[in-house]
Amino acid sequence: MADQARRSGINWAGLAVLLALLVVWEASVRFGLIAFEFVPAPSSIAAGAIRLSREGILFTDLLHTLMSIAMGWGIAMVIGISIGLLLGFSSIARKFGLASVEILRPMPGIAFAPLGLLLFGFSLQTELVVTVLPTIWPVMINTMGGVANIHPRLTDVGQTLRLSPTEIVRHLLLPAALPSIIVGARISLSLALVMAIVAEIVGNPAGLGYGIVREQQAMNPDLMFAYIAVVGILGIVLNAGVLAVTTVLWPASTRSMA
Amino acid sequence: MSQRLPKFPFLGRLLMQLPSPLGVLPLIAVLIVWQILQKGNSPYFPPPSAWWSGIVQSAATGKLLPACLASLQTILVGMVLATAAGVMLGVLIGLSRRTARALGPLLEFCRAMPPPAIVPLAILFLGYDERMKLTIVVISAMWPILLNTASAIQRIHPILLDVATSFHLSFYERIRFVAIPSVMPSILLGVRIALPLTIVLTLLVEILTSIEGVGALMITAQRNFQSGQLYGLLVLVGLFGFFLNTVFSMIQAIILRRWPPRSIPA
Amino acid sequence: MSDPVFECRSASVTLSLSGGARPIISDINLDIQQAEFLSIVGPSGTGKTTLLRMLGGLLHPTSGEVRVNGAILTGPPEGVVIVFQDYANALLQWRTVAANVAFGIERKLPAKECTDRVNAALDLVGLSRRAEDYPWQLSGGMQQRVQIARALALRPAVMLMDEPFAALDAMTKAGLQDELLRLRDQTRTSFVFITHDIEEAVYLGDRVAVLKGSPGRIEDIVKIELPSLRDQISTRQMPEFLAYRYGLHKAIGHG
Repeated sequence: MADQARRSGINWAGLAVLLALLVVWEASVRFGLIAFEFVPAPSSIAAGAIRLSREGILFTDLLHTLMSIAMGWGIAMVIGISIGLLLGFSSIARKFGLASVEILRPMPGIAFAPLGLLLFGFSLQTELVVTVLPTIWPVMINTMGGVANIHPRLTDVGQTLRLSPTEIVRHLLLPAALPSIIVGARISLSLALVMAIVAEIVGNPAGLGYGIVREQQAMNPDLMFAYIAVVGILGIVLNAGVLAVTTVLWPASTRSMA
Repeated sequence: MSQRLPKFPFLGRLLMQLPSPLGVLPLIAVLIVWQILQKGNSPYFPPPSAWWSGIVQSAATGKLLPACLASLQTILVGMVLATAAGVMLGVLIGLSRRTARALGPLLEFCRAMPPPAIVPLAILFLGYDERMKLTIVVISAMWPILLNTASAIQRIHPILLDVATSFHLSFYERIRFVAIPSVMPSILLGVRIALPLTIVLTLLVEILTSIEGVGALMITAQRNFQSGQLYGLLVLVGLFGFFLNTVFSMIQAIILRRWPPRSIPA
Repeated sequence: MSDPVFECRSASVTLSLSGGARPIISDINLDIQQAEFLSIVGPSGTGKTTLLRMLGGLLHPTSGEVRVNGAILTGPPEGVVIVFQDYANALLQWRTVAANVAFGIERKLPAKECTDRVNAALDLVGLSRRAEDYPWQLSGGMQQRVQIARALALRPAVMLMDEPFAALDAMTKAGLQDELLRLRDQTRTSFVFITHDIEEAVYLGDRVAVLKGSPGRIEDIVKIELPSLRDQISTRQMPEFLAYRYGLHKAIGHG
């Protein structure tokens, strides 16, 4: 669907639906059609967001979440790509390690939250434990798959052109595996966002995730909705940003991104 | 020319992908080393034997089994409802190019929204109960299924739709005999993405609200510094994930044995 | 001459594409008799597929009319079935060969009769032994045979074929051409066969219609008077065959 929108410019119909939804929502709250004390009108959510950003809290929280995502994702990338390359290049490593990976992989990331709390209390370390561990898998598996699926012909090409083994890896095999690694990195990044929010809700009283809980407990639905909206927008911006960066840097890699 | 493929036993494709069982050795080695190095009962890194006794202890109180069943029930019922809702809405949205385009930005926003963010919202509206837990799981798990179905429906080859028209299929028959079967691999891919999500959300809600379930047991163990039990529960949850994942892979392989291998997304 | 099974009276189709309405085919007049084999040749871009979709009821003529057994056609008519070029997308890949062949009749006939017809159709195309395989396990030629069997199971009065052999290799193609002629004799079905291959059109056809121009019009209809028992080697070497081939190339505008 994203492709379609890009091909034919701005999706006016889609924007109209969004706008209409907001208008209907606003109107039903104003005229009391939704008789529910917890539903604020979009205008009061916007006002709440403005108030939060005037006080500077929203910015601080956003910055904290962004920093946790960057740290968590960065650590996961280093670990995931290293192990992924090892498993991809070495069939011995696959034979004596892949099954362990497959057993650990379905472990739900949230389950590490109580463990993080036990070890580090309510802290950034807990947030990183919860963010990093599940985020490793997508990039690791895609790196491994990307390397393992390189056509053997490519090594033959390198050899007939008299490239040294390191040159083959550097100039042929890594570039060939790159699209797959980038796909993994993208999946890991959106997962890092989800897990950072999870961690801030249960394990680290800071950032946007904690903002949602804080305002819920303080019974400020308008501010809670404002935080939720910011989280949603952050999700869209992160995804679009990575897509734009990868399209510019490695145009070939976007073709394999379904 | 024609190649006669061997008739795979129904799990053939799955079994061929299984990694060597020798690969569990590092995991076992870590556990053994851990057990040997950690003699005392550390409050932070208890040895695997303490994990076991923690689990046994928890089972003895009679709380473990009901908690496991409660979590499992939420996950399974949530999956079934999310699949039904996701496929139904996905088909309806996908059938009309205009609807899909008009709803596009809204769906993108809902997809980009990290599901945990709506948990506090659901608590506010629905209160602390089973119904809330299930609602959150269904709403969050529905998206990947819905979006995968809708986009696959739009990718159905026009020739196939011509075939349906020229064979006089009614609207309902088109959906049942042509549309849904032809997007089945994509539906199952969506379910596959949704499955870990349901597990995470079930545990998250249990941890946050202490509604009965394994998540609630974990957070209680953490609060009481029963580290052995916490590690034991962690392993248990890991086995849960592994078990559900494996069962789903088998179901997927059984269903998809009739589809061309190349149409099955990785 | 008896009443035609299928007739077009000054039928035209105009499609609204991006960039405005465009006439695709114009003023088409055709009659098809029972058990007749009508080939339609034309270069690409002359609306061959549009013409076939109109005959199959997938497109309404913008003006003029199409009649099947005397009744004006409003949707896909009973007794007319299309065989598409793109067999991989036209078959239901998740159904066995037999279930694919049953697809057109299973909702209308009792199970017993359905099975009998499926077996008969598979027998006609020589695929009885592959009934329980899936299409993706078969070669391209066999998959196209499955599509033909699926059409035959409906016992159609007219079979519309849209370049059905264009994606197949020469040997497979020759085999299927002879099979079609045999099926026509056995079942007395009429065929409308669209192709861009002039030799194929002459070899198969009782008549060959030439579609030309933009919008496409029927330029000429040539009656092919070759011995009704055709042979891949001797028929194709007959002076008459070569003369038809030459004439049609001329008519289309080659050389």
